[in-house]
Amino acid sequence: MSRPKVVFEGVSKDFEKDGAPLAVLQDVDLSVGEGEFVCLLGPSGCGKSTLLNIAGGFEAPTRGTVRIDGEPVQGPDARRVFVFQEYGIFPWASVWDNVALGLRHLSSSEQHRIVGETIEMVGLSGFERTYPMELSGGMKQRVEVARALAVSPDVLYMDEPFGALDSLTRLSMRSELIRIWKSRKVTILFVTHDVDESIQLAERVVVFSERPGKIADIVPVDLEHPRDLGSPEYGQIKNRLYGLLGVSHSV
Amino acid sequence: MKVLSPVAFGLLLTALWWLACGVKGDEIMPTPLDTLYGFVELVESQRLWGDIVASLFRVTWGFLLAAGVGIPLGLVVGWSNRVSVAVNPTIQGLRPISPIAWIPLAIYWFGIGDGAGIFLIFVASFFPITVGTMAAVRGISLVHQRSARNFGVRGLDLFRRVLLPAAMPQIITSLRIALGVAWLVVVAAEMVGMDSGLGYLIMDARNAGARYDLIVATMFVIGAIGIVLDVLIRKLERFDEVRWGYENR
Repeated sequence: MSRPKVVFEGVSKDFEKDGAPLAVLQDVDLSVGEGEFVCLLGPSGCGKSTLLNIAGGFEAPTRGTVRIDGEPVQGPDARRVFVFQEYGIFPWASVWDNVALGLRHLSSSEQHRIVGETIEMVGLSGFERTYPMELSGGMKQRVEVARALAVSPDVLYMDEPFGALDSLTRLSMRSELIRIWKSRKVTILFVTHDVDESIQLAERVVVFSERPGKIADIVPVDLEHPRDLGSPEYGQIKNRLYGLLGVSHSV
Repeated sequence: MKVLSPVAFGLLLTALWWLACGVKGDEIMPTPLDTLYGFVELVESQRLWGDIVASLFRVTWGFLLAAGVGIPLGLVVGWSNRVSVAVNPTIQGLRPISPIAWIPLAIYWFGIGDGAGIFLIFVASFFPITVGTMAAVRGISLVHQRSARNFGVRGLDLFRRVLLPAAMPQIITSLRIALGVAWLVVVAAEMVGMDSGLGYLIMDARNAGARYDLIVATMFVIGAIGIVLDVLIRKLERFDEVRWGYENR
């Protein structure tokens, strides 16, 4: 494995509920390599989003630490960008201004070059002056991905970013994300509760148990992109993940 | 006819008004026709325009001053818990005092004239604007706050790029409420403590020979200007930067 990039050391999180501590995450140890694509898979409420928020610096762990490049995470950092499910882009700003958010300190010619390139990369050329309200859900999410990529982050945290999209848009967003990940060499931690999504995207799937969230197992996905969703290997991994989640695969 | 047309409803009310004048049978209550003649008299006397300008002048300056102070203050109090703890109780304590109650102090400080009027309009619009802006900032969604933190937006940049634009749709709503209140208050203030303006016109018409036709005509003028002010301020809601805020309500 490549050099460790994001390392969770005994991370636990308790929430206060009715005056008593409620364990949400318990002793999570995980090392994500540089440039790796890891999916955090688990049932709703298992604490996987909380883990991502801790890594992103938005919440502090009750015990344990998260280190990035060996440094403990103290708070949010523009080198590691969060992509939210419920559209973190600003509805009051045009596509262009949204993508330029993290480039405020650069010269305007630099900004111009990077914003233009990034908008083109996510396929939104021609929509620079459009406001998010006029865009579809998939396009809004592209704006958010572009805003994140514009600052050339070394880590992307994605919290069910395609959860609000229809299933066809979701599929095409996934393949675009893979394309971008391959060209940018960025480390991605991707939270999902969708088994298929995790197999289509991740190099390793980290499966969480129900609350309090613990790592149940880590399943490698050794399939080349583009992945054949009908292959027997895909089916085997899927069965294994469903087994770990404790759900029967047939309906 | 599926709906009662607004014109028909207005005519119906006018007819009832006319009928009621006939039943009461005194000379004081003006009929719709008396009111129309009263309006013509006001227009021809040239006096109406001066009073309209006087009222609008006080409202404009009082309102702009209140927005200029109230919006920045609301942004800061809404955003910073420390400032809020110190300042908010005073704001909430002064807010329930009717602007009308300030009239004696306003006249004592500024004398009879525009200064007192502007001050009273300031008081009337300041609280809706400040409190509305505070609530707007507190309502900014967590993902937008986190986005701002993630990209290191802070200080003045935070106010300019995130807090103000995020709060703007609701700020415009509070401006609209404040302007409505200001227009109510300016008339009351002019009735008591000014010697010009539409409120003074009403008091003057009553004191100088109980000219109720002029009073009712002036009331219509006040209503019409109030509608125009509301239509004008609602135009702010159409800008691209704020339209998002009115879509899902």
